Amino acid sequence: MKFLVVDDSATMRRIIINSLQRIGFSDCVEAGDGAEALSRFDDSIGFVITDWNMPNLGGLELVRSIRARPDGAGVPIIMVTTRSVREDIMAAAQAGVNNYIVKPFTPQVLKEKIDTVLAAAGSV
Amino acid sequence: MGPKHGGAERVSRDMLQESEDTLRRADSLLGELRATACPGDGAHAASLVDYLRRHGGAPLPLTLMRAYAEITSALEALRRYRGALERTTLERVHRTRDKLREVSSATEVAATSLLDGLDRAVSLVDRLDDIGSSDGRTDDGAATSVRAQLRDQLFELMSCMQFQDITSQQLQHAASVLAEVEQRLIGVAALFDATASADAHSGEAAASATFDPAASLFEADTRQAVADDIFTGR
Repeated sequence: MKFLVVDDSATMRRIIINSLQRIGFSDCVEAGDGAEALSRFDDSIGFVITDWNMPNLGGLELVRSIRARPDGAGVPIIMVTTRSVREDIMAAAQAGVNNYIVKPFTPQVLKEKIDTVLAAAGSV
Repeated sequence: MGPKHGGAERVSRDMLQESEDTLRRADSLLGELRATACPGDGAHAASLVDYLRRHGGAPLPLTLMRAYAEITSALEALRRYRGALERTTLERVHRTRDKLREVSSATEVAATSLLDGLDRAVSLVDRLDDIGSSDGRTDDGAATSVRAQLRDQLFELMSCMQFQDITSQQLQHAASVLAEVEQRLIGVAALFDATASADAHSGEAAASATFDPAASLFEADTRQAVADDIFTGR
């Protein structure tokens, strides 16, 4: 399964990709903002992990854009962000994210949320 | 604090003191004007006319001219010091914002170096695993366990590098506050000189979409619980 990791922090992208590789997901592509992520998104992408606050198209807008595409309607999306106000989390849920991780997170939390999303999608 | 900073402090103090003195003199003259124009009966216009008839109008224009002169003098002093305000205070705000950017950049460089080191360390542990399994000796459970624990610790250290992203957002928030202060100072300076250049602005408006003003390293578990509560109920 190919993961698309989106975050304007190179450090965060590296941490997320290392964590994914550790739990067995080694096929990853990355993007530094929402616009770049959209340009890299295609039907080979099986899972999206995205930040919220980014230049050139933020995470929420990215999620909405992916969900508006025929090849993006069913792709699992997890948002990984510092935003933790209830209204923001609700907005992310309404935009179409499947789960939500608050930074800073542990690799165990990342694995748990991915497992939960994949189980719900019937892929596990 | 060096001489340059001490000089800026003196300029600001002198500016404020001179402005206060001038405004007090102007207020005193205006009080004098009120007292002569309105001798207690509250009918300003009638009192002023009566005053002019009795005194031929001479002292009133003189008082007004004196008040005008003092106010003009105060405004001139404030305009003179507008330059000092721009040069000293705004310069310091610019320097502080530059320092914040420098700190953010330095932490990113440091975090990248640490991640590089941790990657190399993990690779060495992987090589130890390969050596342990390929040298033909009986599997040493203790050594394997230690290598596994070492690998766990290294990945945990990698995860700790998230501080760089969060502190970077906090620094961006601080920089945006300084940008707002800078704009307000420019607005104050423009009050003293209506011809102040429109391009005397900080230029760099805070891009709030790229940082979370509430970003924090603390109580992540509590904040995660809010998200879990919402997504579990869906």
